[in-house]
Amino acid sequence: MTVCFMRFSKKISIIAIIFFILLLIINRFSYPEENKILIKDIVINNSNDLNYVSFNQEISLDYLIREAIDKGIPLVFKITLRIVELHNILPTKTIKTEVRYYQIKYKALRKIYEIIDINGQKYENKDMQNAIKKMLKVEDLEFTFDNDGKNYELWLNIMLERKKLPKPLQVNYFNRTWFMSSEKSIHKFEKMK
Amino acid sequence: MKYIITTVAFIGIALLILLAKAISNSELISSDSFRILLALNILFICSLIVLIAVQIFRLLNNIKTEITGSRLTLRLVMSFALMGIIPVLIVYLVSVSFLTKSIESWFDVKVESALEGGLTLGQKTIDILMRDIELKGKSIAYSIGNADIEQRNNILTDLRAKFGIQDAVIFDQDSMIIEVSSEKNDLIPPIPNIKDLERGGLNFFGKIEEHDDGQIYLKTFTPIISKNVISKRLILQLTQPIPPSIANLALSVESVYDEYQQLTYSRNSLKVIYILTLTLVLLLALLSSVAVSFFISRKFSSPLAMLADATKQIAKGNYKKIIPEQGKDEIGVLVSSFNSMTSQLGEATRNSEKDRERLEVARTFLETILAHLTTGVIVLDNKKIIRLNNIAASKMLRNKEIAMNNEAMSEIISKNLLFQPLYEFVETYIDNNKINKKEISQEFKLNKDNQERTIMLQITPLNDTKGKSYVLVIDDISEVTQAQRHSAWGEIARRLAHEIKNPLTPIQLSAERIQHKFQHKLNEDDSSILERSTNTIINQVNALKIMVNEFTEYARPPKIKKDTIRIDDLIDEVIGLYEISEIIKVKKSKNIPIIYADQNKLRQVIINLLENSRDALKGIEKPKIRIFINNKDNQVELIVEDNGIGVPDEIIGRIFEPYVTSKKTGTGLGLAIVHKIIEEHNGKIIIERIKNSGTRVKINLKMGKK
Repeated sequence: MTVCFMRFSKKISIIAIIFFILLLIINRFSYPEENKILIKDIVINNSNDLNYVSFNQEISLDYLIREAIDKGIPLVFKITLRIVELHNILPTKTIKTEVRYYQIKYKALRKIYEIIDINGQKYENKDMQNAIKKMLKVEDLEFTFDNDGKNYELWLNIMLERKKLPKPLQVNYFNRTWFMSSEKSIHKFEKMK
Repeated sequence: MKYIITTVAFIGIALLILLAKAISNSELISSDSFRILLALNILFICSLIVLIAVQIFRLLNNIKTEITGSRLTLRLVMSFALMGIIPVLIVYLVSVSFLTKSIESWFDVKVESALEGGLTLGQKTIDILMRDIELKGKSIAYSIGNADIEQRNNILTDLRAKFGIQDAVIFDQDSMIIEVSSEKNDLIPPIPNIKDLERGGLNFFGKIEEHDDGQIYLKTFTPIISKNVISKRLILQLTQPIPPSIANLALSVESVYDEYQQLTYSRNSLKVIYILTLTLVLLLALLSSVAVSFFISRKFSSPLAMLADATKQIAKGNYKKIIPEQGKDEIGVLVSSFNSMTSQLGEATRNSEKDRERLEVARTFLETILAHLTTGVIVLDNKKIIRLNNIAASKMLRNKEIAMNNEAMSEIISKNLLFQPLYEFVETYIDNNKINKKEISQEFKLNKDNQERTIMLQITPLNDTKGKSYVLVIDDISEVTQAQRHSAWGEIARRLAHEIKNPLTPIQLSAERIQHKFQHKLNEDDSSILERSTNTIINQVNALKIMVNEFTEYARPPKIKKDTIRIDDLIDEVIGLYEISEIIKVKKSKNIPIIYADQNKLRQVIINLLENSRDALKGIEKPKIRIFINNKDNQVELIVEDNGIGVPDEIIGRIFEPYVTSKKTGTGLGLAIVHKIIEEHNGKIIIERIKNSGTRVKINLKMGKK
């Protein structure tokens, strides 16, 4: 009996070790984003059954990223907007999801920084700082949402879209520079009276 | 375990192939699948590490518990692992170096300069084109500014056509289109950016636009300074596409330049991913080879371990251990030979065991025989150490049934000096006749307990593998010699009786007749002589008759008439016949058993003993005869002792032989007859001297059977 138990405990310990290693690997290869993007000044406007959200961002772009921009590497950011319904008991239910992209790219021929905003509008700027400033201002992200007075929240999340980076940078999981995202920014809708 | 390793090996190979394919496919490398593949590879490597760790732990545990073959397995594993690790490591290091250098070689300074040159050329070309349009724009603006309002359109159209401009539009400062001229008549010009117009209203301003159709357009804004100062400020917008050949080349250079710059930027990442992949491949290969080396090592060491284990089993005497056949290679042949050898060894051992059992039986039988022999047997080595002896020998030399193995014979003899002559003979024989010894025997007369014993010693040399040894056969032949002597005396007595007794009667009758016939015829003197002579003849004949009768009695065949008798009553009866009964003291113990014996013969025994005692007491001041009748272990013990002159030492050993006597008169047959009667009753008789003076005769008689 004791021998059987010892063998069983040995097997269990081996399985536990493997499971622990597996967890470490999954954790390592998941997206351990660093909080480099800060969302602030969220404003939601409503006009003709349409909702618009505008906000500002702060991104600490280090010299590596600035160098990458100057080398013509496009930085594409993904905005994920979700409207969720909160329940006291049931889990949170996503009502609507909107995904938009904005990006900055240096055009070497024309020596300008080209920004494409969330609506596909292009802007040009010869100065990187100004271009970035322009890029970070997100205005009038349009979404439809029927606020029927329930408990709703708007969740905003921004992250650097790694898939749009050059392939070597995509698979370099050891360089933390390219793991860039924001915290989940929550805006609570006021209940209809 | 075999299946696990096979499965693991297959998984490892599949993962290696997938990794190789992924690394060579740029689409795959950027996908999530590659990340999963990497994770799977790392997971697999970790599993291999765990598997190997478990194997090492088990192996070390086996070594600790001294399981056969574990050390060999460790050596094989280390050898195989080294065989795999060293070349793979070399290949890995060379590959990493080669890879790093290869990647670095992609980024040549000349290529970069050429690309930068190409890009600069494109930029300069565009700048020249822009400068050309600027001059044309300023010229058109000047002309329009000095022209009347009615003529503006014609001038604009003429000059646009003259300068080869694609589109020319005049806006006012409120972005209103004032005039339009285009190669394409259906053109509805798009409203420019208000900031561009504002900027263009102040100074010349040019920009390059890339349209979705891939065309590059040069767009200039030139302020029109009108001669009419009160009119609104006008801005001339010229739009001119860059020739497609130039635009395509410039865009192409830009694209290549971008790619090159991106590649330069990500070369470190590129190195990391290739080295990571190589490292994964290395680890997979190494760990797989180590894992497989365990399997191969066990496969190799298993039959050898079984052989070693089987050898141990055989050493313990288990010849039934058979190792499973291992194929037809050398190890298989070895195993087969080992099994065959084990089988033969088992058969030989069984035969040996049977032989040993037979030998044991024979030895036991011999020991039993030796133990039951009344003859003493001793085996001596060169140093006269006793190597073997039987019980009879122990009894003889030590008077005890104690083994004398490995004891020096001299030690034993020193405690029993009776056998000193025998030992001296043996010593002389062994020391003086070391070569070509022959069997020799010698008879010794020893006096033991006042009895003469005849001992026959026979020495036989043995030539065995351990050196020379000697077999001593010691036989007490006293009984035999005594019996032979008695037999001889019996024969003599019988012949004497036969030869002497027959003429005695005629001699006596003749003497009596002579006396009777001539006594009265002779004178007194002669008659007196005749009478004395004839009386002497008659008396001597009577004496001869008595002697012959005693001889007859001694020589008579054993014929006894047994009956139940009480020995104490018989003694009382005999004592009553003697006038000396007052000096005889009888002491009887209780419960004297009734014996079955010949009463007349026993009476003669008692008479003979009493006669002897009486003769021995002649001249003794206080003569005493004491008779003890005892019950000793349901036997009658009769002791007759006196305080007479005793038996001399020189004859006491032979006192029971005929004609051996210390008396001046007598035939010397009394005790011989007593001895014979007691022997006929299966009893024992011992005669011994009493310490100060006198003789003691001790007789033991059994109850007997009807």
